[in-house]
Amino acid sequence: MVRRPLVANKRSYHWVSDKICSICEDPAPLWWWFFTVVSFVLMMTCFALIGYQISTGVGVWGLNHPVGWAWDITNFVFWIGIGHAGTLISAILFLTRQKWRTSINRAAEAMTLFAVICAAIFPGIHVGRVWMAWYLAPIPNSNAIWQNFRSPLLWDVFAVSTYFTVSVLFWYTGLIPDLALLRDRAKNKIRKVVFGILALGWRGSNRQWSHYEKAYLILAGISTPLVLSVHSVVSFDFATSILPGWHTTIFPPYFVAGAIFGGFAMVLTIMLPARWVFGLHDMITQKHIDNMCKILVLTGTIVGYAYIMELFIAWYGGNPFEKFVFIKSRVSAPFWAVFGYLPFDWAQGIAKSLGTNYGPYWWAYWAMMSCNVISPQFLWFKKIRENPWLVWMVCMAINAGMWFERFVIIVTSLFRDFLPSSWGYFKPTWVDIWTFVGTFGLFLFLFLLFMKFLPMIAISEVKGVMPESDPHNHDHDPKKEGSHH
Amino acid sequence: MKRVIQHPAPETTGRKYWRSLEELAESPAFQAELEREFPQGAAEFHGDDLSRRNFLRLMGASMALAGVGFAGCRRPEAYITPYRKSPEWAIPGRSLFYTTAMPRRKGAMPLMATTYDGRPTKIEGNPGLPGSRTATDAIAQASILDLYDPDRAKDVMAQGKPSTLEAFWKQLSDLRTQFAANKGAGLAILANVDSSPTRSRLKAELRAQFPAAIWAEYDPILAASSLESAQELLLGQGVTQAPLYDKAKVILSLDCDFLGFFDGTTDSIKKFADGRRVAKPGDGMNRLYAVENRYTLTGGMADHRLRLPASQIPAFTALLAKELEKTGLNLGLNGAADAIAKVSAKDDFKTKWIAELAQDLIRHKGSALVVAGSNQPVAVHVLTAAINSALDSYGTTISTVSAPTREAKSIQDLAAAIEAKSVQTLFVLGGNPVYDAPAELNWASLQKSVPQVIRSSYYRDESSTGAQWFVPTAHYLESWGDGLTPEGAYVCIQPTILPLFAGVSQLQILAALLGQPVAFGPQAVQETFRQISKNNSELAWNEFVHDGVLTGSSAKSLGAKPAIDRARTAISGSFASLGDKSLELVLVPSTSVEDGQFANNGWLQELPDTITKNTWGNAALVSPKTAKELGIESHVNKGIHYGKMVALTVNKRQITVPVLVAPGHADNSISLSLGYGRTQAGRAGNGVGFNAYPIRTSEAPYVMTGVSLKPTGEETDFALTQEHGAMEGRAIVREATSEAWAANPGFAKEQGIDGHQPYIEAVNPYTGQTEKTLPSIYKHPLMTGLNQWGMTIDLNTCVGCNACMVACQSENNIPVVGREQVQHNREMHWIRIDRYFAGPEGTPDENAVENPEMVMQPMACQQCENAPCETVCPVNATVHSEEGLNVMTYNRCIGTRYCANNCPYKVRRFNFFDYNKRPIHRTQVGLGPLKVESERPLYFGPLATRPEDEVELIKMQKNPNVTVRMRGVMEKCTYCVQRLEGAKIEQLARIKGSENHRLPDGVVKTACQQVCPAEAITFGNINDANSAVAKAKNDPRNYQVLAYIGTVPRTSYLARIRNPNPKMPDAISMGLISTPAGHEGEHGHESHDHTPHAADPHSAPAEGATSHGGSGH
Repeated sequence: MVRRPLVANKRSYHWVSDKICSICEDPAPLWWWFFTVVSFVLMMTCFALIGYQISTGVGVWGLNHPVGWAWDITNFVFWIGIGHAGTLISAILFLTRQKWRTSINRAAEAMTLFAVICAAIFPGIHVGRVWMAWYLAPIPNSNAIWQNFRSPLLWDVFAVSTYFTVSVLFWYTGLIPDLALLRDRAKNKIRKVVFGILALGWRGSNRQWSHYEKAYLILAGISTPLVLSVHSVVSFDFATSILPGWHTTIFPPYFVAGAIFGGFAMVLTIMLPARWVFGLHDMITQKHIDNMCKILVLTGTIVGYAYIMELFIAWYGGNPFEKFVFIKSRVSAPFWAVFGYLPFDWAQGIAKSLGTNYGPYWWAYWAMMSCNVISPQFLWFKKIRENPWLVWMVCMAINAGMWFERFVIIVTSLFRDFLPSSWGYFKPTWVDIWTFVGTFGLFLFLFLLFMKFLPMIAISEVKGVMPESDPHNHDHDPKKEGSHH
Repeated sequence: MKRVIQHPAPETTGRKYWRSLEELAESPAFQAELEREFPQGAAEFHGDDLSRRNFLRLMGASMALAGVGFAGCRRPEAYITPYRKSPEWAIPGRSLFYTTAMPRRKGAMPLMATTYDGRPTKIEGNPGLPGSRTATDAIAQASILDLYDPDRAKDVMAQGKPSTLEAFWKQLSDLRTQFAANKGAGLAILANVDSSPTRSRLKAELRAQFPAAIWAEYDPILAASSLESAQELLLGQGVTQAPLYDKAKVILSLDCDFLGFFDGTTDSIKKFADGRRVAKPGDGMNRLYAVENRYTLTGGMADHRLRLPASQIPAFTALLAKELEKTGLNLGLNGAADAIAKVSAKDDFKTKWIAELAQDLIRHKGSALVVAGSNQPVAVHVLTAAINSALDSYGTTISTVSAPTREAKSIQDLAAAIEAKSVQTLFVLGGNPVYDAPAELNWASLQKSVPQVIRSSYYRDESSTGAQWFVPTAHYLESWGDGLTPEGAYVCIQPTILPLFAGVSQLQILAALLGQPVAFGPQAVQETFRQISKNNSELAWNEFVHDGVLTGSSAKSLGAKPAIDRARTAISGSFASLGDKSLELVLVPSTSVEDGQFANNGWLQELPDTITKNTWGNAALVSPKTAKELGIESHVNKGIHYGKMVALTVNKRQITVPVLVAPGHADNSISLSLGYGRTQAGRAGNGVGFNAYPIRTSEAPYVMTGVSLKPTGEETDFALTQEHGAMEGRAIVREATSEAWAANPGFAKEQGIDGHQPYIEAVNPYTGQTEKTLPSIYKHPLMTGLNQWGMTIDLNTCVGCNACMVACQSENNIPVVGREQVQHNREMHWIRIDRYFAGPEGTPDENAVENPEMVMQPMACQQCENAPCETVCPVNATVHSEEGLNVMTYNRCIGTRYCANNCPYKVRRFNFFDYNKRPIHRTQVGLGPLKVESERPLYFGPLATRPEDEVELIKMQKNPNVTVRMRGVMEKCTYCVQRLEGAKIEQLARIKGSENHRLPDGVVKTACQQVCPAEAITFGNINDANSAVAKAKNDPRNYQVLAYIGTVPRTSYLARIRNPNPKMPDAISMGLISTPAGHEGEHGHESHDHTPHAADPHSAPAEGATSHGGSGH
């Protein structure tokens, strides 16, 4: 079986450089302006609402007793999850020599950074006294009070900030040869100076390449455990607590798988339209889409396994509190609706054992199940994988499903916990909703700027996986000779 | 370069305190201020001039003057005698205690006021009195907030214009001359009911001076009571009976909520709890039967409860009398036999219930007690007296004591006089007749028709509108007075602060009418004291003021017996039969704002109804079955309860109210609380709830029959603090019957999931006692503090009266959040009373939804030794003290809310808004000229500022030892750590360097413990094996809520014991809220569901769909 080439249509080095650099160099198309303005407005809405929340109080959100966290932390975990694919693609696929990563890693890494920025907003602003949030930083202070190193929330601060720092370094390091290319192609002074500074004097010498590749490898090595640790640590926020529905040992691997799952879905969600508008089909080929779809099937199935295992343990563990959260608050409603109305004793018995007062959030659970477990299964079919529209729709479902997953974990565990006297209900306010929508504005705004001003595909790396780069290339295909530039 | 800090050179001629004082005292401005200061001192606080700074300035100056020999002014030496210990003068930051009393409709409640720097901040019961001692009720606790109510009346008004007190006194002296000529004809006074002997004395003098004047008294709650006339009929004038709940072994309550505050007092709760308290199986405990139409606290404590419309209580009593006579007891009711003979029960269950009840009463002859609700008709009281008499209760479980007679005309008499145009000048002192007088009198227009109305009240309320003269009434904490407790003891009302505004007392007004001196001072009370105590010495008076009570003044038992022969003619006509299906309406006082006089008190408005947990409003309660039949079921949507609006019509009078479905309510009966729908209460009370007075008439002030109900098609929302009423099969509240307890003394540790824990016997490192405990793989380092604080709450005696909630609010500066925030579940109470409904399936008479069992559980921070909140706080804001407290550092808290999420008891409270700084009620918001009126000013953040008067006044109530929390901060119960530390400091001062600074048991009490009338809360040092709390922890009923998680809470509960009569038809349904985990041979997985089938009385098929139960879902 012949491997499909990573760059289709036997494109030349020059074509690759030109194709990608021209996106940054040509005037921005009209649609870019349109989306940039829209996303800018959304971003400013987000900032305005954050200002409102900080000036007025956390009460402008729908939080209450007992639901102390809801959309704030849901959004945080959602965005931080999305921020996983980038570094996974750059680091783990790099170490495992998956060459197909080259045409998507740059955008995925950028996406990671922007997603982490969106994520970092929420733990920052969700606290009651934002102006005191620096207490989280282990800096010497006159009170001589240290942070509580037992708190997963503190681990979060360290994990996310480390992850962000390393991701930025990794991304920037990868950008250096391409920045130099942009500098070299620059036609005006400003570009020349700016890219000149950003390229850090890159000349493409062997010595530089040797250093560069070592640095890149080291950074990939550092990033790899971070990919696993960040979301594990985020999951500890829940797993180390005592709340039924949170207190679950399966969380770390399940969260990591979910993050990769959600991250890849977001990469596809963004790259499919980008590929279409910029005509990048020769670099982001069907092979790339196929590979990513397969990862979605794999991670989606792991996530599905985790969901089912949680349910099994809730039943097998015999803890009535945990059973209540999973069976009554989350899954029961549709089963009850089916069995409860059947005219058979056994059906009534099943319905009754599920409880007659199932939770009002059953729809969130089933939205999560259908989006995250059922929808990726379509990607088993080649026909579907080859239809970008269908793939994109599945990815959108997964994006929504992953948000619901976090909502289910957070809200449906909190709203009915140990003492029924304290049970409550959460409903978001307009501020909750528009702050979240606004973070999409921030995310898109940053991504649109990135697409416009930086090479969205790693030019030097793509060139590296083209047949011409293979020292033995000429042995097999002498006709290709002379295609270097 | 090293920086050298230069201190300012010390003053060589340092100003001495006295010198500066002299300078101050000599300045002309200060002299002028002093002139105005005497005698009222209130002038400084006029209108907007009141500020904390101003207040403190005055306080400071007058205190200093007292020190150099000027006559006392703000802290008058001559007037106020400090409590017990006699500190030289106040030490800033330390509290002083003054005995006083709060006048209530049923008698004065003896109190002790805590003051800081001259500001009263907290109310406690007067421990010097026998009986309930330090206990008070929620209303007394909340009365401190009224003192600082920004909406209280502040100015004297004449013809609608501001006037002065001098002008008012002049007006009164003119009136005196005017009425002296015609002996008071045309003069009428309508006053609230009050026990003050001084008022009685002045009233008698008034009667002597103006024999033709009318003195009428009205109280909307007492107006419904027929108890007084029944007792006059039975026992003769001036005699009343006092049930001795502690002496009774079997108690039957006939619609008598003696554990609530309308048929009972703090003392009745204490006595009942004394008869209920058990330490080991076999200890005798009382048995309570309750017959009532709605769930009350009494019904909640009952071992057997029968739901019955209030209009059928007479029939029930008659049937019981008949049954008792059948068994050979002579009730001496010969003449009334006819009326009783006609009564019948159509219902087998009720017949059996009555038969077994009768048997039980007879078995306990001599230790049985039957009490009837004061609002029940005279016939019920006569029958009850006959039954009690035949059961030999008089002298054993009932004592008869003398009571002052109330010589006053009724409001109806006064209304007739006004209609006859024979009243020229009408004084309306206290009360609020325009709001709460019987509907048929049409009091508003009657009052308008009087040429001159002189009104004195605490607020400018509904009845103050249109009055020619208005004088603010002083708070009881700012005026001299006296009163009689419900038990008959003579108590002193001592001011703890001079009137903040131009308030005067009723006694001053009466004195002015009589031409006596009106100065603020104790002279009038002192005169009464001399007459009552027959002791002229200054020492005796000082003792009286100091102790707050005249020693030995409690009513003596008279040993009277009821004259059934004389009274039995009252039993006539026919009784409504049991099982009658016609709809009745029962009007009851609110458990929060009473008759409506406390409507502007935010603490009380936010205090949930004891049963429905409804705040900021009232609702018509109906049973689930009746609601279904009438199509008026309440429902839940997105966490908020909605009730259908219905128009209730009785005798062509109509009101529109929302319906809340109440489990355990009698069918075909509607209960509606009074006291809401005020229009001129103030910013907190206006427009809250629905007014029921417009249909309340003199003829039927309590039970109305012939009610028609029509849904209007509209809905309204409620603000409930507890949305879910079922325990979901979790053994949170644990209880057993006395039999089951005897069979398994350690049942409490074996219920629910705990029944499957491998308990081990281990020595508790703190108490040193061997106890059953859960094994842990982690050995927790021992806490080293000498005091290891712990608490137990006895569920067997806690009745759920809410007093602890307000006491805690008052002690710990807990803010009010308003109705809208309560709907968002953002109420801030540190201690709450969880109320659960449950009942096993297949209860003999009805199903569990209709007739569930009700249990109460106070829930505050459990002070876990392994606190889940502490480990998750990233900034170390909540940590553990060496004394076992889970402490909260507000300054360190950044508000992640993680601790609250991880708290299994959900007792942590987060400040979602700046509740102390921002307005809660409707107000103007915006900047500069851009201002709008908003219902939800909290949501405007910095654009909404709290009105200055609110800020300035309310902050004077704050306990200076407790931080006022800002927004974004988590807070919770600390076992009143400020009290613990205060007590430790005092102990250190006392022992002076000795090593043993462990606090003696009982010297420090938490606010909730101190206020508890049932003494259900025990608190102290568990490190001291002899402490009460260590002993309580050793009680076999001791258990920890959610022990299985391993939080090791320091607060534990003593399981409740029910004492059902095994022969009763509903015996099986009692005491089974969490059934014991029978370990006999079943250890399989499925046996985990030992607990309950506690059928969920609130089960609903889906969110948004109809739910049963007011507090359902």
